[in-house]
Amino acid sequence: MNERPEWRSPRGVLVLGASTPVGARLCRRLLEDRALRAVMAVGLEPLERAGLPEDPRLSYHRVDLTRARPVHDLLFGTARDLGVDVMVHLALHRANDFGDRVHVQNVESLRWLLSLSERHPTLRRLVFRSHAEVYRVERGLPSLITEDHPVDLSADAPQWVRDRVEADLLACSRMGMMSGLELTVLRCAEVLAPNEGSQLHDYLSAPVCLRSAGFDPMLNVLTREDATEALRLAVYAGGLQGLFNIPGADTLPLSTCIRLSGRLEVPVPGPLLAPIYEARRWLQGTQFSYRINRGRFHFAAVLDGTQARQGLGYEPQHRVDWPPGR
Amino acid sequence: MSVGLAMLQSLLGRARRRVASALWAEPLEHLRSIPFRDAGHGYDVFGYEPLHAALSLSLLERLHRYWFRVQSHGTEHVPRQGPALLVGNHAGTLPFDAMMVWTDVILQCRRLPRAVADYFVPSLPYVSTMYARSGVVGGSAGNVRALLEAGELLLIFPEGVPGIVKPFRERYRLREFRVGHAELAIRHQAPVVPVGIVGAEEQMPQVARLPVRMSSLPYVPIPLTPLPLPVRYHIHYGEPLCLHEGLRPEDADDPEVVHRASERVRHAVQALVDKGLRLRKGVFR
Repeated sequence: MNERPEWRSPRGVLVLGASTPVGARLCRRLLEDRALRAVMAVGLEPLERAGLPEDPRLSYHRVDLTRARPVHDLLFGTARDLGVDVMVHLALHRANDFGDRVHVQNVESLRWLLSLSERHPTLRRLVFRSHAEVYRVERGLPSLITEDHPVDLSADAPQWVRDRVEADLLACSRMGMMSGLELTVLRCAEVLAPNEGSQLHDYLSAPVCLRSAGFDPMLNVLTREDATEALRLAVYAGGLQGLFNIPGADTLPLSTCIRLSGRLEVPVPGPLLAPIYEARRWLQGTQFSYRINRGRFHFAAVLDGTQARQGLGYEPQHRVDWPPGR
Repeated sequence: MSVGLAMLQSLLGRARRRVASALWAEPLEHLRSIPFRDAGHGYDVFGYEPLHAALSLSLLERLHRYWFRVQSHGTEHVPRQGPALLVGNHAGTLPFDAMMVWTDVILQCRRLPRAVADYFVPSLPYVSTMYARSGVVGGSAGNVRALLEAGELLLIFPEGVPGIVKPFRERYRLREFRVGHAELAIRHQAPVVPVGIVGAEEQMPQVARLPVRMSSLPYVPIPLTPLPLPVRYHIHYGEPLCLHEGLRPEDADDPEVVHRASERVRHAVQALVDKGLRLRKGVFR
């Protein structure tokens, strides 16, 4: 973390992934600041599906981040003209899909964005929303995860994890190395809500939740409100670079999570879970993959938010309204 | 149908908790009088939860009182608040020594010792969950650092597995100490209370051990008796050692300093063990 030099409030903010629920909320929160001149919301969905508020300072742009030219034109066209100085990137692919296109959206687009931002005339700050799933969870590692915890670089990690780790490390590797551009990476706990790409939410949407017999690890989940607030604080934390864990206000065992969701909890021998959930995924088209979650379905993994509290002034305030996704 | 079953499961869970609260009212009240950092939903971030801990306490209290008939000496040396480390000798095939110290400190000192388990323990089904609910944490540097920063009392056995598996003929001869506890004590300026445990070495003499490759356990012990023998435990708490005296926290990076501090603790524990052996009248008395 660097010391904060003098920094003025942002003039304009560009939100990539504004059509996601957290993105739309962030746009709304940012517009509450009357001093902010422009909010550029960028998404792939049509405007009517983006759920954005009406405000003369808000403009919506449909841009496919997997294509470099439109991204370039957006940054060096409208964004430059509006004097946008902060960019928030929340546009990772949410579904548990795989393939080149997903990788381009998750990793390559960030590479372009970093490269373009460095030579952009007005951008001064980039906030990247990363995920707690980048951390490795296994025996022998601390249950309370600080920012220096090992990341999951295992060879058999699914693309969903690999892409997130690669994007996160890409952003971290450029931190402090880019002249005139500040980088802040927020490793957010899982937002337990629909349409957030939450593996746990998909898991809890099944009427019967299987878990590994004999293991009941502690989990930490985040609400949309707290995720939005953390991003907003990062937008305004000018002069501050760094990597911050963003935990939620709910820390609870997996069994309690299942019970509060009103689901039937069935412990089964651990080795059966992967084939059962893989079969469910293929047969029902669901998102939950046991391979992604094997570690945290056995060992406790709770984010330590000390650095975010000290650096950003972030403190989780909102508990999940159980059952989630109402 | 599954919704109905889920509701039934939830109701049964609530009823179970209510019955458990009534059955173990006394240990539960005792544990509730010990403050802990509730991270929401009644658990701390490591999974400690008073009701489950009360169940453990109620079972272990019986062992403590009637089976091992524990006699403790020097409990006034255990700090009643602030970060500290209890460091003891480890033996006996199964970790009843840790359980007896845990029970003893809760009952006598009204503090919850956070026992630090070896790295393989969190991967043992059921055991890991039961331990976590009772306040045990996996032995990683990050976990113990977080607990000391939170002002908790740690219970550490620096001999680790080599201590608990040592042959009967080598009883009460301490194995080499790992030095992590000394480093932590210096870095966090926390006192170390040496603990000499007498009795554990005779509770379950080991006749063999089977190496297992497919499990997270380092081996499967084959004890002489299926149950621990009703030996009498004598737990001696020594005067706190301030390993950090005259040192700065950054001196914890000096291997020589840390090794010396660890040896100091080992000698203090060995002295307490020797004293305990001298004072006891017999293995079962």
